[in-house]
Amino acid sequence: MAAPRKLWFRLQSLGRRRRLESELDQELALHLDLEAEKNRSAGMSPDEARRSARISLGGVEQTKEGMRDAWGATTLEALRQDVRYGLRSIRQNPAFAAAVVLTLGLGIGANTAIFSVVNGVLLRPLPYGEPERLVAVRQTLTTPPTPSLGFSEKELIDYRAASRTIEDLVEYHTMSFTLLGGREAQRVQTGVVSPGFFDFLGVRPLLGRTFRADDDTHGAEAVLILSHGYWMRRHGGDPAVVGRVFQMNNRPHTVVGVLPPVPQFPNENDVYMPSSACPFRSSDGTRANRGARLLSVYGRLKPGTTVEQARADVASIATRFSADNPGTYPAGSGFTTTAVKLTDEITLRARPTLLVLLGAVGCVLLIACANVANLMLSRMLRRNRELAMRAALGAGRVRLVRQLLTESTLLALLGGVFGLALAAAGLDLLVAFTARFTTRAGEVGIDGAVLGFTLLASVLTGVLFGALPALTARPDLAEVMKQESTRAGGGYGPRRARGLLVVSQVAFSFMLLIAAGLMLRSFWKLQQVDPGFRPENVLTARVSLNWTKYGEDGERRKFGQELLRRLESEPELRSAALSFNVPLAQSQPFNQRFRIEGRPVERDLPTLDARVVTPRYFDTIGQRVVRGRAFEDGDDEEAPDVAVVNESFARRYFGDEDPIGRRVTGDGETEWITIVGVVGDVRQYGLDREPTAELYQPFAQSPGWGSVLVRTRSEPGAAAALLTRAVHSIDPEQPVDRIRTLEEVRRDSVASPRVTAMLLGVFALVALLITAAGIGGVLALSVSQRTVEIGVRMAMGARRDEVMAMILRQGLGLVLAGLALGVVGAFALSRMLDRLLFGIPPTDPVTYAAVAALLLLVAAAACLLPARRAASVDPLVALRHA
Amino acid sequence: MPEAKDSRSDLLQGTLDLLILRTLAAGSMHGWGISQRIQAVSDSVLVVNQGSLYPALYRLEAEGWIASEWGASENNRRAKFYKLTRSGERQLAREQQQWQRLASAVFRVLETA
Repeated sequence: MAAPRKLWFRLQSLGRRRRLESELDQELALHLDLEAEKNRSAGMSPDEARRSARISLGGVEQTKEGMRDAWGATTLEALRQDVRYGLRSIRQNPAFAAAVVLTLGLGIGANTAIFSVVNGVLLRPLPYGEPERLVAVRQTLTTPPTPSLGFSEKELIDYRAASRTIEDLVEYHTMSFTLLGGREAQRVQTGVVSPGFFDFLGVRPLLGRTFRADDDTHGAEAVLILSHGYWMRRHGGDPAVVGRVFQMNNRPHTVVGVLPPVPQFPNENDVYMPSSACPFRSSDGTRANRGARLLSVYGRLKPGTTVEQARADVASIATRFSADNPGTYPAGSGFTTTAVKLTDEITLRARPTLLVLLGAVGCVLLIACANVANLMLSRMLRRNRELAMRAALGAGRVRLVRQLLTESTLLALLGGVFGLALAAAGLDLLVAFTARFTTRAGEVGIDGAVLGFTLLASVLTGVLFGALPALTARPDLAEVMKQESTRAGGGYGPRRARGLLVVSQVAFSFMLLIAAGLMLRSFWKLQQVDPGFRPENVLTARVSLNWTKYGEDGERRKFGQELLRRLESEPELRSAALSFNVPLAQSQPFNQRFRIEGRPVERDLPTLDARVVTPRYFDTIGQRVVRGRAFEDGDDEEAPDVAVVNESFARRYFGDEDPIGRRVTGDGETEWITIVGVVGDVRQYGLDREPTAELYQPFAQSPGWGSVLVRTRSEPGAAAALLTRAVHSIDPEQPVDRIRTLEEVRRDSVASPRVTAMLLGVFALVALLITAAGIGGVLALSVSQRTVEIGVRMAMGARRDEVMAMILRQGLGLVLAGLALGVVGAFALSRMLDRLLFGIPPTDPVTYAAVAALLLLVAAAACLLPARRAASVDPLVALRHA
Repeated sequence: MPEAKDSRSDLLQGTLDLLILRTLAAGSMHGWGISQRIQAVSDSVLVVNQGSLYPALYRLEAEGWIASEWGASENNRRAKFYKLTRSGERQLAREQQQWQRLASAVFRVLETA
């Protein structure tokens, strides 16, 4: 009941601070006068009476401090004072402040940057309606291992009818179509979706409308929705685009809506169309084929259903499928269906990398903190006098500690501001990095949560590196006054604290260096992998033919052969080839079941990855022909069907037998294909993925293609214009895109391990430098404190190299202790890296040895400077000052 | 809380408040007067240091148990006079009762145990 009144009273005192001070002065002066008067009347001389009154009353300043505390100075006023003291002390020593702000800025900046990614990707809820209920449904196989098989329309219809746990099942796939009607023909990435797809995600259109059920009926007018990015990019955000008509797949498409700027799921697309408008998806052949699995399927958990229940539900439906359709789902293939939360699905690949990086930057910050704490500790020695003076003037111990903490927090906040600027500067790089793992990269940015994190990190940092020096500070007036020299300070407590700080710095640095070293070595191993082809001087491009214009085999064959003819007549090109896709260009295997002539037909047919290439393909990319022959121009549609297999295929299906001359056929087909050659293995889907069994068919006999590859005589990038010109001379409306050298393709395929290794390397290097500075600083301080001792030793006959060895021993002792701790920590933690490593175990002894050697070397170098200073101590000078 | 800086003033926590309230029950008084009065009545056993007195006065005023006003002192100087409020009287009665109960309990233990 009295609380509000009390608060009001205190707030009033805060406002009337000046008056209260003067009133207190008057009150205390009166008190003193009356006391003195009393003493005088007891017979003392005036002077004596006053003196005695002062003594009996105790310190006036202490009383004032006590009053200020009571007035509420504990909070606002004291904070203001502390901040003022802190700023003054920072101004007095700008070099120290700069060192601290720089060190902490690096640490906090790295943390802010990585946190902004973690926040955007892992922490923030998906920007869709009820994201926790959204699931991805996946059909999978164990043999061959296929984590996501896709769905056919027939399967989707059956799941819709049978599922008791998931509602609103929607489909998605993405195609690349040619869009006409603008200035030039454009290739647009097109999301093909159920009409309810956007309602399912809870995305409302920015303009116009999303799809309706009647857009998807057979024969409905074709409609398009533009993504926000494409709308801004291509139409400058013009709202009049709604209602415009574009030509696509040989029919008019009307734009009915524009999406808001939300990250698109599961991929970024330029435009969207309902599934009936996709010529491939809605063809009768695709719809009737239960095995034509091109759809991704997503659904919403029914209210009150868990994802575990949904998983059991879809798995039981899959079992029923297998029983009902033994032809489509062969026994032994391990066919089943599962469901995962969309949140997990989207962040699955990013999570381990981001967590490792977050741990790394946390380490960097801790190391930076330790260094700054050390700086503060050594400065403390010089400040003991000042602190003792403040204590003498009435500052309580708690108040002194608070002042020091305020000062360190101020420094940390300055470091935070600096760090924020660093993070903001590096954000674009990080967004590009994140985009390799997840579609959520667009959500990475500096928002309230990130600012809050930086603030929290700064304050915690300030308290962390400020607490240790503040607690070891014992401003004892008498002690300090007795010491004639400020240099002599630093008792056992602070010295041990400094040693411990160095030991932990070394330990954390070692762990970071191990992480970086493992990633670098793993990346190096990845680079050493022979891809099976020679990427230099090869230029690649994507030419995905307009599906409706070139629907017939003959048309595609004609286009392809004409293109090759023109390219091969160019003197700058050594050879040219067409293929389905480019190795290492993030494509998916085209798995097919097949039979081998003369072998019993098993229920469980073997699988191969089917590829189509033109005769000079192997020459062009430099893939070896091991046995038999490559394709020749004579292997055309008139000639008998032939194939070339890779070594993995030959080994797996023919063992020691010679595959040449043997015949195979696709599941459900009757035409036999003769194997005429064996080529070397190529890393098709990633340098870290073992080659699979591949079968190549000649383009002329199976005319599907999507990529052009040319081997040039000189720098391959220069052939880009030539390549585009050749395509456009045949069909000016045919887009050519993704023009990259094969070397670039290869480099891009390992970009994410490279950037991860690079980031970890930079963090570890920063940590190493900070640690080296820490070791050197602590040792230098110790040397300057031991100058007299060293002088005595030398006067007693110690040689300079002995003195140097003594100091080196002291420094390296700390380093070795830290190293031992670091090895233990690294062994415990490096298992977290296991999933990110290729070709080496997380306990790789080479890395451990190399990192330990590097750390020791750098530490020894850091110790050398103070050790030499110690050795150069002049005993005469040192003793004179003793 | 202000720290006790003088060993003579380590009265039981809250006892100083009680002494001040009781002293002011006799009439309004300034700070020095309160300390002299306590010292005199206690035969100089209790010496109230100004370092404890003024923060205590401020605290009691914040609680609303005493009120202050400026007036003229014996030597005709401006002085701040404190007086007991109504709620201060009630608080005094409560604290007095509590103190007496505690004192007599301690006394009984000393006598009989």
